[in-house]
Formats: sequence, C-alpha cells, structure tokens
Amino acid sequence: MIRFKQGNLRIPRFGRPVYVVAAGMTDFRKRYPEKSTEELVVEAVRMAAEENDLKVAPDELRGLVNFCIYSQFADHFGDQLLAEARMHDALGFDPLGNIGVKTGGATGGSSVLAGAMAIASGYASCVPVIGWERMDEVATREGNAYIASAACKNFESELGWFYASYYALMAQRYLYEYKVPRDTLARIAVKNHTYARSSPFAQGAQQITEKDVLASDFASDPLTFLDCCLMSTGAACIFLADEETAFKITDQPVRLTAMAAGSHTLRTADRRDMEVLLLPNETPETYKDMEHEWPSFSSFLAARMAAYLAYNAAGVKDPVQEFDLLETHDAFTISDIQTYEDIGLRPYGRGREFIESGDAYYEGKLPTNLSGGLLGAMHSVGATGIFQISEILWQLQGKWAKYHADPRMWKRFGKTKPKDFRNLQVGNPRRGCAVSHAGTGSHVTVAILDKVTS
Amino acid sequence: MNQRPGVRPLRETCNGQVTLDGSVADLDSADPMVIQNPKGFVHHHTYGGLSKFFQGLAQGKLMGTRNANPGAPEKRIWLPPRVYCPDTWQKMEWVEAPTVGRIFTHTTVLYPGAPFRASVPCPLISVEIEGVCTKLMSYLSQGTPKIGLPVRAVFNTTHPTHTILDLSWVPA
Repeated sequence: MIRFKQGNLRIPRFGRPVYVVAAGMTDFRKRYPEKSTEELVVEAVRMAAEENDLKVAPDELRGLVNFCIYSQFADHFGDQLLAEARMHDALGFDPLGNIGVKTGGATGGSSVLAGAMAIASGYASCVPVIGWERMDEVATREGNAYIASAACKNFESELGWFYASYYALMAQRYLYEYKVPRDTLARIAVKNHTYARSSPFAQGAQQITEKDVLASDFASDPLTFLDCCLMSTGAACIFLADEETAFKITDQPVRLTAMAAGSHTLRTADRRDMEVLLLPNETPETYKDMEHEWPSFSSFLAARMAAYLAYNAAGVKDPVQEFDLLETHDAFTISDIQTYEDIGLRPYGRGREFIESGDAYYEGKLPTNLSGGLLGAMHSVGATGIFQISEILWQLQGKWAKYHADPRMWKRFGKTKPKDFRNLQVGNPRRGCAVSHAGTGSHVTVAILDKVTS
Repeated sequence: MNQRPGVRPLRETCNGQVTLDGSVADLDSADPMVIQNPKGFVHHHTYGGLSKFFQGLAQGKLMGTRNANPGAPEKRIWLPPRVYCPDTWQKMEWVEAPTVGRIFTHTTVLYPGAPFRASVPCPLISVEIEGVCTKLMSYLSQGTPKIGLPVRAVFNTTHPTHTILDLSWVPA
C-alpha cells in the first residue's frame, strides 16, 4: 500500500518557461544497415536545423546550443557504451556538456524532461534532445531478449524473455475484469496502422481491418502480432530553448507548459493495491463502486502519477475537452486502453469508450496517435518520446502537412506518397499531450504543449 | 622482452612483430559493410541475500520474507522476497510461504526470446497466494490456465536450473 506523505505529491513547476523550437527525424525501419547510428542522428539534427523555417542559419543555431541531452534505451542494442560521446562528436558539439538519459521505453520522454529541467532552471538556454535506437544489429528473438532484460532478471526475464507476454498477462486480466470485447483492442491497431499510411517516416503503414488483427497469430494470447508495436531503427531530435532564445530562433515556438514523471515497480506482480489517486476531473464518488483492486494488473500508477502532476501543473481540468491532440505510447493495444484511463480520458474500467465513441479518431474530440504511434509508425525506443513531441510541435505550428504531404519527403526515404494519403493536420490545435512509457509501467512521463498566441 | 611478473600475453609476438590471430570477422554484406560481432561473455551474477529463495526451490520450499518489526506497515509475506523492506528499509525475516494459490492472470509464451531454457508453448501465470502482499510470476507445468484456477507449487529438485524456472505450478 502506498500512502503519500507530505512532499510526495508536490506539483512540479518550471522556474521559467520552456519552449520547443524545432524538430527533425529520420524514417524508421526494421533494418537500416545503409546508415551508421551517427549518420541517422546527424540527419535528424540537420532536419531540425534546416527544415523548420528558423530565423537563424544552422550554424547560428549550433552557436546557441549550450548543453545536450542524449536518449538511448539500451547500450545492448547499439553494442556501444558511451554512445553519447560518439554522437556528440559526430555533431561537433564538443566540448559542451552533455548527459545521456535512460528510463526504458520512456527514455525519450525522460530525456525531454531532463532538457526542460536544464532550460527551466536557467542552467542552459538552448538544448537539443537527441534520441535513437539501433535495434537491427541482432535477430528479432535476440532483440526480444534484450528488451526482456528490462524485466527483473531474477524473477521475470527467464520466464519467456518476451515482453509481449508480460503485457499479455495484463491484457488477460484487464479483459476479464472489464469485459472488453477483443474487437475494441483491434480497432486501436487498425486506427494507428491506418494513420501510419500518411506518414513518410512510418515503418508499419498497413491497410488492415479488425478482422486481420483478430486473425493474425497470437504473439502471446490474447495479444496478436498486430496488437504489438514495431521494433525500429532510426533517430529523432527536438531543440528546447528559453523564451528569449526561442523567439530568436523561430516565430512559432511551442510552449512545453508542464511535464512530469511517475514510476512504479518493475515487476507488475509487485504492485500492492491502494486508493485511486484522483485527477482533477474525478471525485471519490467516481470510484465508490469500484470492484477490482487498483492499480493491480489493469492500471499504470506511473501514468496516473505523471498525469496528476502534469495536469495540476498546467491547470488541466478536463483532458478530453482541453487537449486537441494526443500521442500515447501504444506499445500494445491493451496498454493504450489502460493509458486512456490512467490519464483520465475515461474513468477506470471505461477506457474502451474512448475508442468506441470515436473520440480517439481524427474526426473525434481528441485525435490520438495521428503519427501512427508505436503500432504503426515506429518504436525506436530512445527516439520514441522525442518523435511524439516532434509530431505535436508540427501539429501545433499548423505545419504537419509540410513534413508529411510533400512527395519529396516520401522520396527522401525511398517511398512513394500513397494515392489515398490523408491530410491529418488538426484544425487550429492549441494544446497537445504526449505520454512516454517504460517497462510494464515502470516509468511514465506526461508532457503538455501549448501553441503560443501573441 | 621485459614482462611484468604474473602477466602473460595471450599470444607471443614473433621477433617483435605483432601478428593477427587469424580469426576473421564474418561479413553479412560488403557494401554497406556489415560485419558480425559475436558475443559470448559469461556474467557471474549473484543472488546475494536472495540466495535462500533459490536454495529453497532446490529443496522443495517456497521461501518468502516479511517485515516482523512492530509498526511495519506491511505485515504480509513478500514473494518474490526482498532482503530489506521497501517501506522502512528494515531487514526482513525468512518464512515459508504457502504453496497453494490461484491463477490471477495468464498467457502463453510461444515465441520466447533467445535465452529461454524451457519448452513452448509455455503457459505463463501470475499466482495469487493468501497472506502474500504481491503476486508471483511463474508457469504452469501441467494443465490449462484459467483465471481463478486453484494451483499448487511444484519444484524442480532433481536437476535444478538455479533459476526461477525451478518453480512451477499444477492444478491443485
């Protein structure tokens, strides 16, 4: 039982405003032997510097940088410790200070948080946050073993060396407790694979139906392969800046209004039951008839904690009403439903309604994972949380089409823009949210970004 | 050649000339050049204070820990065990945990990662045990898993693997 004490629930605040000014990324592929990791990273950073309509030339932007954050999940995958130093050197940022951040699947989100802390504290004024994962040096079953090294090696990893199974345990329990039809999960996979078809960066663009998802083989029952995210190689980068520097760099900075982190035990099974930590849009009444223990296997306390802190910091009262777009860490269809509840889009037990109501779609109240998400676009782990915020930046700037609709962008990655390409720019979005997530919920960050109106 | 005492090079140089050992990095592709870097290191991993749990499995016992100190906020057994109580940082004491429980949730491992030591399909389960404050991830070595199914622990005492795989469950 977790009982919060004074200090545990302090609402974090930035000492001064933090802005996102530019973003860049490579495309994402299962295997990318054509390019070394340095090339992928430099290409993402170059895109941020050269293709974001900045008021400063790339060389001037370099001249403004005073600290760097590097985001890579697993030294195992790249088979290179201190890869941060190699990337820093390749980018010519020596002798500026830099740190590498590692929190599993949430590494990207945590890296952005670290960069934001550097800006907010006054330590730095311009910080690139650069993430990548080189997941293609080993065969898939070896890659799955590396990923399962992020489970407890004494008590869990030996039991399958397969993360999808650890999520399947949660899925089975969730479906049992809340009687969610399997089709609802399938709809999430279809949605995100479909949106991925309009992204030149996406690895998993597929035209699939719910029937295809249900008919695909079990990766680990009840999850099929199409319920599970991609394993990708690629890189993504954003530049963070303080207010003065942000407006020097661009006329369209986006404010990172609040960002917060939560955590929970690495072993899902070690999560003792407790009272629900309430979000601003919930009251004790919301859960008076709750039948099942919480958070157990059906909920992520880490996500609830991060949302609680970020929502209170940003003054969010009703996320579905206030957010215009959302990027979740849809590593598995089941974890997406769980996350809807953790971040208060629906009360616990009713997450299915967020997808079933149509709210989660482009046409709905809160378009979710228009990027294609981890199911459809990419999960190049260290890059993922940065990729999410890049997509939100471009959406809030009203520039999504610049990066997705231009046939030259498709050509750059050896692809042809599909005939059924859809413009997924949200109409005049003002506020976006991104959720970065690790383990079976060991670390989660929630970021809230706002369009700057003058 | 002057050598530091006790230090022996793996291969001696010949006439002061350094030679390669003759092994070759295998090529997957010449352009881009993709080479193979095999790894075969052995990690000497300690269970430390948790050794008693794994020794217990080899003896057919399910050993947990509990915080017996007065005022401990959690009195129930921890399984997996912990040397120190995470609520108070006090040292825990070892106790034998019940060897019967119920399946809390389950799945089936079909595509395990490379180092998996058991056969597939392998029904993975999480077991709920009375008096234990955590669940325990394990596998069902016989039968079909179902939520709520009563199960009892069985122990691989004949040829222990010295891993968590030495514990499994069967329908009770």
